[in-house]
Amino acid sequence: MRRRTFAAATAAAGLALTLNACSKGDSSSSSEDGGPVTLTYWGWGTAQDGMVAAWNEAHPDVQVRKTDAGGSTESSAKLLTATRAKNAPDVAVVQYDTLPAMIVGGVAADISSFASDAKAQFTPGVWSQVEFDGAVYGIPQDVGPQALAYNQKRFTELGIAVPTTWAEFATAAEAVRAADPGSTLATFAPAEFGGFAAMAQQAGAQWWTVDGEKWTVSIDDAASREVAAYWQDLVDRGVVDAEPLLTPEWNAKLAAGKVLSWPAALWANGVINGVVPEQAGDWALAPVPQWKAGDSAVSFQGGSAVVVTTSSKHAEQAAEFAAWINTSPEGSAAQISAGQYPASLDGQELTLKSDPPVQSPQQADYWQVAQRISSNTVPEVSWGPNVNVANSAFQDAFNDAVTNRTSFIDALATVQEAVVADMEKSGFTVSAG
Amino acid sequence: MSPTTATAAGPRARAGAGRPGRRPVAPYLFLAPALVLFVVFLLVPIGYAVYLSLRGLRVSGAGPFGRREETFIGLDNYVTALTSTDFLEGFGRLLAYGVIAVPLTLGLALVFALLLDATTTTAKRFSRTAIFIPYAVPGVIASLLWGFLYLPTTSPISDVTQALGLGTIPFLSGSTLYGSVANIAIWGGVGFNMIIIYTSLRGIPAELHEAARLDGASELQIAVRVKVPLVAPAIVLTALFALIGTLQVYGEPTTLRPMTTSISQTWVPLMTIYRDAFTRDDLPLAAAASVLLAVGTLLVSVVLLRLAQRRAFGDA
Repeated sequence: MRRRTFAAATAAAGLALTLNACSKGDSSSSSEDGGPVTLTYWGWGTAQDGMVAAWNEAHPDVQVRKTDAGGSTESSAKLLTATRAKNAPDVAVVQYDTLPAMIVGGVAADISSFASDAKAQFTPGVWSQVEFDGAVYGIPQDVGPQALAYNQKRFTELGIAVPTTWAEFATAAEAVRAADPGSTLATFAPAEFGGFAAMAQQAGAQWWTVDGEKWTVSIDDAASREVAAYWQDLVDRGVVDAEPLLTPEWNAKLAAGKVLSWPAALWANGVINGVVPEQAGDWALAPVPQWKAGDSAVSFQGGSAVVVTTSSKHAEQAAEFAAWINTSPEGSAAQISAGQYPASLDGQELTLKSDPPVQSPQQADYWQVAQRISSNTVPEVSWGPNVNVANSAFQDAFNDAVTNRTSFIDALATVQEAVVADMEKSGFTVSAG
Repeated sequence: MSPTTATAAGPRARAGAGRPGRRPVAPYLFLAPALVLFVVFLLVPIGYAVYLSLRGLRVSGAGPFGRREETFIGLDNYVTALTSTDFLEGFGRLLAYGVIAVPLTLGLALVFALLLDATTTTAKRFSRTAIFIPYAVPGVIASLLWGFLYLPTTSPISDVTQALGLGTIPFLSGSTLYGSVANIAIWGGVGFNMIIIYTSLRGIPAELHEAARLDGASELQIAVRVKVPLVAPAIVLTALFALIGTLQVYGEPTTLRPMTTSISQTWVPLMTIYRDAFTRDDLPLAAAASVLLAVGTLLVSVVLLRLAQRRAFGDA
């Protein structure tokens, strides 16, 4: 009998150890008698380490431990599951378009009571990305206003002027093809949901809107269909290539100087520099082309906020950390030196005193151009609670349309259908716009 | 019960005759570690997956930002999975992939094994290692390497075809895609299957082919008439592995997906399950689809074994 008890005890102990190991996650810790608090923080990108180090130096009582839990998609998927397991980190970076999903997923906590001071640091357009239904769910960290990254050296070689409207962009695309058939002005990337969404928003689309209790989804509205038709025309005529970005194939073309521009956002030059560092000095930044001549509307592509999670036991300290790294001069300086464009007004001001980033040393007015771009952002863009579903449906629908040479407008309708169906299934009140 | 425990229990049963109902502890003690691992890492997760498959994330509370919470929804997820065209079309693609991958993997493995076993072959040790080495390359890395060989700008194959004026081969689009994906699995899988069949060939008593040789049979005849029937159980085993491997295809298409517009997120069933779980945040639906896939795999395996049993293993 004793032996059996021993066996059972060993088995139970082993089991307990295993379970204990599973449940011991990234929860925060502190001693009861007011000792130092340790906060856990999930973030990606090169700017985080510097910002966290600056905070830890200035705040010996509240130390922050950073973990890179992957980029936006991976990190948000993990946040949802970690929240259900009640061991999410105290603080986390969340991309703006994913924030509503994090709110309805119960990840992001309402920090209105701690965040009132921070509001003055941001433009209303940026602040609208973190405030929903009168509650604040995060502090903006960086912004990605749309911009055009272009290979200045190749533009000069082929005698191409920087396009200021999308109509000029189309003409320039023809000119590039005519001058050098192996090169393309730009790539239409069917999997770039964020890029297409930004262009549609720039044209006036509002994909998700809230009216009282009711959501309206209009992913295939007139403005979006116009954008789809524009790119379909360029792809069908063969003046731009349609293929995925940042593949070995695309990177090789970029390195060979065969991809002349990338209409994306302020971060695009940095990404290009990561792929082809030897082309530093060739690439420059310009405002994104406009749908109507004389307009200056710029939407956001990417950018993220720092949220406090509902799992955190130190919400106040966590919110203080989120506000400090994103609004203090120390935080902004660390951010800019890593090449990230700050969301805060003071941070953006600080860029003007900085040297142009490593990828464009020749462009003396780089940060001035960046600031001019970001002062024209579309005032309010609202994202829905299931952008993840829209993103994944978009990738499949547009990949399919490019592969089978079918209509981009039909692909938009497919995305719209998938998004509405998913929201209905989850139990939201929703109508198709 | 093993004979050891039976003899161990024997004397004790006699000694403790006054206490009937007393049962030996030792077997359970020895079984405990395996049982605990089996329960904790297999039964509990399966049970949890089944439980999860009956639940769904639904909005509770009013307002446009109501929280999504887990509730019981019965068999809804199974209905969704079984009526999902994305999920079902994935099985169609698996079939096309399997028709290429399974016969080629097994055929090549058998041919290589027979060649290595033939008396006239030289450089056996080198060839065996060379054919086996791709199996040691992780699938994701193999897919990345092959991806470079498939993409027109980075592929040396395109350099050759372009120099010949033939243009580039669209490896990653159209129906060529199935061959390209299967090729990666074949490249990686032949060596492993070859070793299984080869080991079985080495187990055949030498008298059998010596007798055949004395009777005037050629090497080819010995291979086809003597060796192949004798290694049939090994071939059935590799076929079973290949079939299960086909149903579980995931790594190769997932790694190739960012490089082409032709592979969707629902290209094969496991990719659909991944998308539902981690892109669409619908873990319960993914759990239901996983249960269906597991049950399907089990059924197919049982049917294959039943069909092959009589032929390969005799009437067992």
